[in-house]
Amino acid sequence: MRYLNSKKDPVQTQPPAELVKEQLSPHIQENIDMLSGVLQGCSDVVIKEFKFGESHIRGLMIFMDGLTDRKEVENNLLKPLLLELNMQKRDSELEGGEVLNIIKENILPLADLKVLETMQELCHHLTSGDTVFLIDGSANGLVAGTRSWQGRPVQSPENEIVVFGPKEGFTETLRFNTALLRRRIKSTTLKIESMVIGRISKTDVVVCYIDSIAPPQLVEEVKKRLGKIDIDAVLDTGYLAELIADNKWTIFTQTEHTEKPDRVCGQLLEGKVCIMVDGSPMALVVPISFPEYMISPEDYYIHFIPASLFRMLRFIAFFLALLAPSLYVAVITYHHEMIPTPLLLTIAATRQGVPFPAFVEALLLDATFELLREAGLRLPRAVGPAVSIVGALIIGDAAVRAGLVSTPMVVIVAFTGIASFVNPSYNAGIIIRIARFGFLFAAGMLGFLGIIIGLILMALRMASLSSFGLPYLSPLAPFNLSYMGDIVVRRPWFASRKRPYMEGMKDEIRQSFENHDGSKKT
Amino acid sequence: MKLTKFQLYSVLLILVAPVAYLETPHVLIHTLYANSWLAVLAATIPGLLLIQMYYYIIQKSTQPFPLMLDEHLGKTLGRIVGAFYIPFFILVCSYTLRLFIEFMKMNVLPATPISVFIGVLLLVGFVAIKTGLPNIARVLEPTVLVGLSFSIIILLIALFNNFHLDRILPIGYMNYKSFGEATLITTFVLGKMMPVLSLAFFLDNKRNSQPLMRYVLLTFIPLITLTTMTIIITRGILPALSLTFPLFSTIRLARIGAFIQNLDIFFVAIWILGIFGAVTIPWFMTCYVTQQVFNLRDYRFVAAPTSILIGFLSILISRNNLEILIWSHTLIPLVYDLFFIVIPFVLFVIVLFKPYPLTNSTEPAHKVEPPPA
Repeated sequence: MRYLNSKKDPVQTQPPAELVKEQLSPHIQENIDMLSGVLQGCSDVVIKEFKFGESHIRGLMIFMDGLTDRKEVENNLLKPLLLELNMQKRDSELEGGEVLNIIKENILPLADLKVLETMQELCHHLTSGDTVFLIDGSANGLVAGTRSWQGRPVQSPENEIVVFGPKEGFTETLRFNTALLRRRIKSTTLKIESMVIGRISKTDVVVCYIDSIAPPQLVEEVKKRLGKIDIDAVLDTGYLAELIADNKWTIFTQTEHTEKPDRVCGQLLEGKVCIMVDGSPMALVVPISFPEYMISPEDYYIHFIPASLFRMLRFIAFFLALLAPSLYVAVITYHHEMIPTPLLLTIAATRQGVPFPAFVEALLLDATFELLREAGLRLPRAVGPAVSIVGALIIGDAAVRAGLVSTPMVVIVAFTGIASFVNPSYNAGIIIRIARFGFLFAAGMLGFLGIIIGLILMALRMASLSSFGLPYLSPLAPFNLSYMGDIVVRRPWFASRKRPYMEGMKDEIRQSFENHDGSKKT
Repeated sequence: MKLTKFQLYSVLLILVAPVAYLETPHVLIHTLYANSWLAVLAATIPGLLLIQMYYYIIQKSTQPFPLMLDEHLGKTLGRIVGAFYIPFFILVCSYTLRLFIEFMKMNVLPATPISVFIGVLLLVGFVAIKTGLPNIARVLEPTVLVGLSFSIIILLIALFNNFHLDRILPIGYMNYKSFGEATLITTFVLGKMMPVLSLAFFLDNKRNSQPLMRYVLLTFIPLITLTTMTIIITRGILPALSLTFPLFSTIRLARIGAFIQNLDIFFVAIWILGIFGAVTIPWFMTCYVTQQVFNLRDYRFVAAPTSILIGFLSILISRNNLEILIWSHTLIPLVYDLFFIVIPFVLFVIVLFKPYPLTNSTEPAHKVEPPPA
């Protein structure tokens, strides 16, 4: 109980040394002393002291090994600095502050040069991969943008496979990711606002939106919630998804994760806001409603008729993945009369000798399937699929031969597994996997009544949720017929005059309808 | 608390349709035999009058029911009448719950004790009320969409599986007394829309409640007409008279091809969704009226104590299915009519002599907006 009811004051910890907002000193030795304290134990820091001019003015160049482009540092920073500074003025006329200006304006051939004043700024830039210069006699430092590190190149996403459409996926490098967006939306209305979250990690986070479309109150709310986060580190977008969610105690995720830039751009063009985190290949999109999880970006790249059919198939697959085992258990246990007699006899024959009731049988097999699926994900890529397929085949066959499970149950569970892979969203897949077990219990206890009760409870929970003010079941509840036209089916481009409705959206018109003669369509 | 127009439509339809879907055709067939479907059609006119009465009361009131009772009857009498509505709505919940349970016990899960059904349904209703009226309304929106479409499809499948049109033909042999009685029975079912006196005030504009009630009527009449006709056409009068739930038996006969049979379980599934609403909305009204009458801060916390009352009453209300059926023909219509129609009618007569209240913009509430130029 002492853990539950602890009302102690928060532990008063000393802020990390690097957080001290201390001004840089004009005396370089003082700065060196301060830095040696702050950077103690940081073996990846490279500190190069140099002297220039006749009076040997002391300078300091600091950067992080591995985060910085060494060639650029040596060729474009150090070399010009040492060679050209002496030629600018006689050293007797040079003063620290003046030297810094000369370096900034005349010597260093870099576009990204900034002056810094505090130790906190210095540490932030240093750990971000920039190179910092300190000159004796100047109370300011100079920071040169030299960030460069080995990162994964742009590859096709692993979890969102499409047949048609762009194959690029986000990487772990934030700047690459923002560039992928900018390349698709070449407009200054695409705003990419950055902020830093994480007391220790100092993670760069960007909030992207299209200024001329996104509702201002939504953008403000996103920034407000991100601004309120006070955590030591943010290592992935998953941290933020949980921290900024409207309702936290639920399995229904209220943000969309995607690793496809084209998907993010599509969402931005519908007035949504995207959040990206340095180090994560996943972007977060808000707000999201549950029916939108059934939408694949591919729907918009193929003809609207097959796209609509595929989307309807996904909705059917969603219900099958959620309910197929529980419906089977309900029918077998309570409602046999539904099954035609020949089929009932076949099922009865296969179930003969099975020692478990249908509910236990389904539970065991479904749990085994989940185990195999999880194992397939975690195993090394070379053996993962082979192990899961062989495992499924061997275990399934052996279980049937041993008389532990019936063949129809294996078929049902396998069918459920396939149906669950139809869903394009991993988040929705997780919800289905968890809820399926709940429905299985309900069907085992009360048959169809249990399933319906479960559906009502699930609907009630979902209806009570919202994502940044957007009702989680919209446009189904609250019902919006015009928006439903782009959820259950894919609305043809030629009929998509307006963007999907969102409260406060600045510009609802997606395209103007003009006839070939230039007159407006009604 | 705000409701959209479609949400109010869904709530009102759920109040009148699900129980009537199972019960009303049975009662009508007992009253008017093969012509009972005509009585449903005839109920359109009194139904419209009933809607007009509710709308008139809404227009002449500035506060929702039960506070409008204070406004029109005076504070003391208004509170007393309002307090009587609390046990009434508890009775509505308990009776609906028990009717549903009897149906489930007879046809779907005969071995399950009724306490299990009661417990499960009360749990769902309790969760629903705790999450609030807007959530209940949101869940009822897809319920209506799915329920209505599936109900009609199942009815049509059943109808064309055993189509004997001659069974509804003896229109000429009409007993006009029974016809009037059957029309009244159907009209009284529409009286279940009475909670609109509260719910209309949750709309952005309470004037929208009138077309919504008319849409409900326009949905209810064809649905119950089709249901009644389907029972008569497929089963015939004599078998229908002998069955406790003739609609269920009718649907049980339906088949698709030679393979898909016993569609009744789908019907039951849809019906459970409807019953959830039919129990939860009167339960919400119980809590809401209690809150208003006793000046409580919130209606949600009343859900817990009332759940116990509803649970016990639904067990004590009758000893068996036969008693429930007798109640449905005798006492229940009288009590329902008193609270759903007679008291609102008295209120209607009182407000008839009152001026329209002024809105915030000092315009009369009943003023019709001029059409756009």
